Amino acid sequence: MKSKKRDQWIAFWMVPAFFNVFGLVFVPLSWMMPPRSPNAPEPQMISFMQSHNLLIACALLTLVYGFAPVGNSIYLIQIKRMSVSPVFRYTLMVGSITGAIVGMLFPMFCFGLGAFRSGYRPSILLMLYDFGYLAFIGSLGCFCIMWMAFALAIILDQNNVLPKWLGYYTLWQYVTELMAAPVWISKSGPFAWNGLMTFWFAMALYVPWQIIVYVCIYRSIKNQPDDELESAWLHQTSPATDVRPKATA
Amino acid sequence: MVLFVVAYLLFPIFWPPLSPTLSPEEVAAFFRDNTTGILGVVILCNLIAGSLVPLFAVTAVQISRVTTSSSVFTYAYILCVGIGMTAFILADYCWGVAAFRPDRDPQLISLLNDMAWFFFIAPVGTVIVQCLCFALSVYLDEHSEPIFPRWVAHFNIVVAALLVPSAFTVLFKTGPLAWDGAVSFTLRLIVFAVYVVVTFLVLLRTVNRQGADRVALV
Repeated sequence: MKSKKRDQWIAFWMVPAFFNVFGLVFVPLSWMMPPRSPNAPEPQMISFMQSHNLLIACALLTLVYGFAPVGNSIYLIQIKRMSVSPVFRYTLMVGSITGAIVGMLFPMFCFGLGAFRSGYRPSILLMLYDFGYLAFIGSLGCFCIMWMAFALAIILDQNNVLPKWLGYYTLWQYVTELMAAPVWISKSGPFAWNGLMTFWFAMALYVPWQIIVYVCIYRSIKNQPDDELESAWLHQTSPATDVRPKATA
Repeated sequence: MVLFVVAYLLFPIFWPPLSPTLSPEEVAAFFRDNTTGILGVVILCNLIAGSLVPLFAVTAVQISRVTTSSSVFTYAYILCVGIGMTAFILADYCWGVAAFRPDRDPQLISLLNDMAWFFFIAPVGTVIVQCLCFALSVYLDEHSEPIFPRWVAHFNIVVAALLVPSAFTVLFKTGPLAWDGAVSFTLRLIVFAVYVVVTFLVLLRTVNRQGADRVALV
């Protein structure tokens, strides 16, 4: 028998696929990550900004960045199952729209632009360099509010869709986003954008958290009883089956 | 859509599109010579971008009526629309800022122009996912009388496939994949225009049928 949750599973498995390409783009392909130093010697920054691989990374990212919304929709459908108000999922929705532009597409284009045309003056390239890294690492608000909404929804939920400890853990994720704030101020040391605290410590907290969240969501989708699915009305045997439910989002 | 046509007829400034091989000085000269036209296009494009939103919103509502186990594709669709619109408007702003003070440093004008083209042509990722979400939810409809006919899904897949090459625009300055090329520019715009028209007609039919679906609309 075919799974009734095919839509959820397809969407779910798109996410690890996306993260793999995402990692590939930022680390081995463009060497954007781990971040370069904010006060690297000028010729070094310039030759980095003009490397052709940045453009390839840019092209790949523009192709696959659409899967980030799919990843965020996975959170959204879980929040929808919770007993909480729609406020939380609408918040996460808007946060993820802005986040995808300011935290991903725009910085990537800043890096790509320098490499696209070779004639730019060093001062312009340096501005793009700063703009790219600061937007990428220093974009806080939209992600803070996303994780805050997610954490609060988990904690306040009475249907136990996701475990409560995950909610408190997610609150910590909010703190790591706050730790990225000093990148706007310091150019070297642990709080610069390539610093021990703002980048490495935040990454060390973020990566396991992201994996744990997906494991929890995997279990949540798997354990969702068939009669709670949104398509359940179709499989009921009562005479009212022919009435389509109202569209809800 | 009417606005779209008006924009093309009134301001054929961007036709043929600027070549990516122009030097910063040539780009700056272009913006100096065509300031009024460009600003007109910018203002219109802003309105156009906004006026496509309701169409996609109706699509999202209809996708959410499809019988699947969750709203995952509806949400992904809405997010994609939001991101795609923002990218389009950012492209628009870059052109507008470039034309606002055309005597700016040519390198900056050229940078703004490049950035505008990047945002205008390259970010097809969300449009592709938008089409895929639409297609998948049509394929997965469990109801015996599906909301959308099957061919809508096939159509969306084809549109998504045709848009894929545009993502590689940033790698080329000449040839069909450059931002003024046959594939990235002409094909993409035609595909998008056809997509908007077809989606509009499909929705018209679907919404009319929904009205006949009695209790459903309570």
